[in-house]
Amino acid sequence: MVIDFSFVWIAFKEILKAVPLTLILTFVPIVVGFLIGLAVALIRAHNIKFLSPIANFYVSFFRGTPAIMHIMVIYFGFPILLDYVIKKFNLPFQSNHVPIVVFVITALSLTAGSYLSEIIRSGISSVSKGQIEAAYTIGMNTFQVVKRIILPQALAQSVPNITNLIIGFLHTTSIAFLVSQKEITGAANIVASKNLKFLEAFIAAGIIYWAITLIIETIAYFLEKKAKSYSRSAF
Amino acid sequence: MGKAFDPALIIEFIPMLVKYLGVTLEILCFSILFGTILGIIVALPKLFHVPIARQIVTVYISFIRGTPILIQLFLVYYGLPAFLSIWDIDITRMDALYFVIITYSLSHGAIFAEIFRSAIQAIDVGQTEAAYSVGMKPIQSFFRIVFPQAIRIAFPNMANSVIGSLKDTSLAFTIGVMDMMGRGETLIASTAHALEVYISLSIVYYVIVLLFEKVFSVSEKYLNRYHSQGISSI
Repeated sequence: MVIDFSFVWIAFKEILKAVPLTLILTFVPIVVGFLIGLAVALIRAHNIKFLSPIANFYVSFFRGTPAIMHIMVIYFGFPILLDYVIKKFNLPFQSNHVPIVVFVITALSLTAGSYLSEIIRSGISSVSKGQIEAAYTIGMNTFQVVKRIILPQALAQSVPNITNLIIGFLHTTSIAFLVSQKEITGAANIVASKNLKFLEAFIAAGIIYWAITLIIETIAYFLEKKAKSYSRSAF
Repeated sequence: MGKAFDPALIIEFIPMLVKYLGVTLEILCFSILFGTILGIIVALPKLFHVPIARQIVTVYISFIRGTPILIQLFLVYYGLPAFLSIWDIDITRMDALYFVIITYSLSHGAIFAEIFRSAIQAIDVGQTEAAYSVGMKPIQSFFRIVFPQAIRIAFPNMANSVIGSLKDTSLAFTIGVMDMMGRGETLIASTAHALEVYISLSIVYYVIVLLFEKVFSVSEKYLNRYHSQGISSI
């Protein structure tokens, strides 16, 4: 076996430049997805007519199909929709001016939204009803109950789930290279094809993903400790 | 971006894609089978605190959980032939399908190992002690007492990871496997109707995932048949 270790290092330095884009593709969809997830979770919790079945279908469909489909459908479908709107209103704009990264972020945000709505739902349902009733009896209003009682506990409960989701999304961003994004996998692919050293480039990419994952896990570990510091088990 | 959007094509493409469902399920079945065997082997050093082997296993699990399946796929696809060439074994002409099955088995092995380990460790030590006290041998205690309870805990997690990996099989086409996604790519090349193909594929995947979820929820009920609903167990 011939592994060119010096090339692994060269590739490593080259691929490292792609880390910021990967992190953007990981965290922007999660932040946007959190808002979508919150809205969807509230719609489902309050069982709003008409919206609730749509929300249910959205969550089930996006959790039931591979993320690559979301990226591809938006990548090919969004411009068609945009062109249609532009034609209708005669806007001075063209769909091919939209950078591809916007499509990827849109698609991943929708994916993240469906997963986060489930995480938020399970987080909220982990707060027992008795605590909410107790908060009302001492005269808190709904806003106070949500802010002081539900959210702190629900978020603390969700930390492990959200960590898993972030790591999952870090790994999902590797799909973006299929629509020619220069994130870690994309950069590795470019370095590899330029020098015809595929194994070395992907070893370097693997190490980078691994390192980022370990960093996220370490941060999450301390966060979880902090988030749960006040909650002691009843037994 | 090809031709105008034609919704009728979505229906037309579905039967063409479903023909290749077999390959997708083949990848899934074999990788789960080998992954389960590997998972059991990998879980052992951690359960019995075997030195050195335990550290190796920990690094293996951490690596698999720390890298995307796509990178693992490329590493096996490019790395395995190079690795085996040390012993003059030439597998460069091997069907890409086998590389996919190897990768997914390795990936499953790590994930299942963690699931098995945590499920077995979740069983109260008192159960084993009780089994010994009625005169069971360690083997009997494991297969009659610990295992049936552990499988109940492990099952929902395994079901989730099977569904996850069904969706992950859609990446096999990147190294040239002709599964549903690969067939979709060739359809796009020949018809230039990319959007319709991807929508059809999404529908097919969605239906299979729904079927799997249904089967798993029925099996879970069966596994939980001795546990009454009201009383929480363990």
